[in-house]
Amino acid sequence: MASDTDRLVADYLGRLDRELRDLPRARRRELMEEISGHIAEARADLETENEAAIRSLLDRLGDPEEIAAEARGRVGVERRGSALDIVGLVLLLIGGVVLPVVGWVIGVVLLWISETWTTTEKVIGTLIVPGGLALPLFLVVVTASAETCSGPTEGPLTCTGGPSQAAQVLGAILVIVLFIAPLATTAFLARRRTRALATA
Amino acid sequence: MVARQDALLAQMRRGTLQYCVLSLLADEERYGFDLVRGLSEMDGMVTSEGTIYPLLSRLRRDGLVESTWQESPSGPPRRYYRLTAAGRGALEGFRLEWRRFRDAVDHFVERKD
Repeated sequence: MASDTDRLVADYLGRLDRELRDLPRARRRELMEEISGHIAEARADLETENEAAIRSLLDRLGDPEEIAAEARGRVGVERRGSALDIVGLVLLLIGGVVLPVVGWVIGVVLLWISETWTTTEKVIGTLIVPGGLALPLFLVVVTASAETCSGPTEGPLTCTGGPSQAAQVLGAILVIVLFIAPLATTAFLARRRTRALATA
Repeated sequence: MVARQDALLAQMRRGTLQYCVLSLLADEERYGFDLVRGLSEMDGMVTSEGTIYPLLSRLRRDGLVESTWQESPSGPPRRYYRLTAAGRGALEGFRLEWRRFRDAVDHFVERKD
């Protein structure tokens, strides 16, 4: 009996948590805390707790989808720092090229203070790829300068070798991936942002 | 026609609900459940009680209300909401506008002929 009503409440909260998953984590936690608190208070107020009483209590709370829509709607209405979102995305991509390390770090800060993206999206934005386009550019410059350096000092006799060619191919693939990954991440975050604002 | 009227009522409710919340907090601080119960007592004001919580969250982030955790005599601590100075200002501003608007509409729709 008691476990049936507990399961109804757990199902409801589970659905709500899933509906809220694209909100920033702090907001999601606050809403989950408040609504599970509300349910606990309402249950304590019941004269007799049975399945019907719990069902009507949850009905009065409303559909999780509706609550989530209300929460998302406010995200868009605020649009606080939404211009900063764009600055953040640009800095994440090329900030490190313009101002080594610092430019990218500012981009990361803007990404994390924004309310537009979820925590998962922020982690993706930070880790793929640290430094943005600055990292592959840096690698290209370093390997190019290493090649021109080694040429004259080593002498022309035993300069060319098989392993270095294989390494060059691997290096080239790595650099291409490192170029594409941050571009893809930026496109992904921009699309998520458009979507977040559109649901307002 | 009826559907459009329903949509209009929902819009009006939605637009004025936050000021009803601010009004309920004007004299005393309240926790979420208490506040929701206060709103639900008025027929026709709240259809889905759960949607009050995203509203409270926004009012808090907009600086119109602030909240503190307080121990509850029964169960876990409760988050109590109260008006900030900005919230009080917003409420006063709305009261003036609302009276004017209400009187203007009343003037036409309540006319006795």
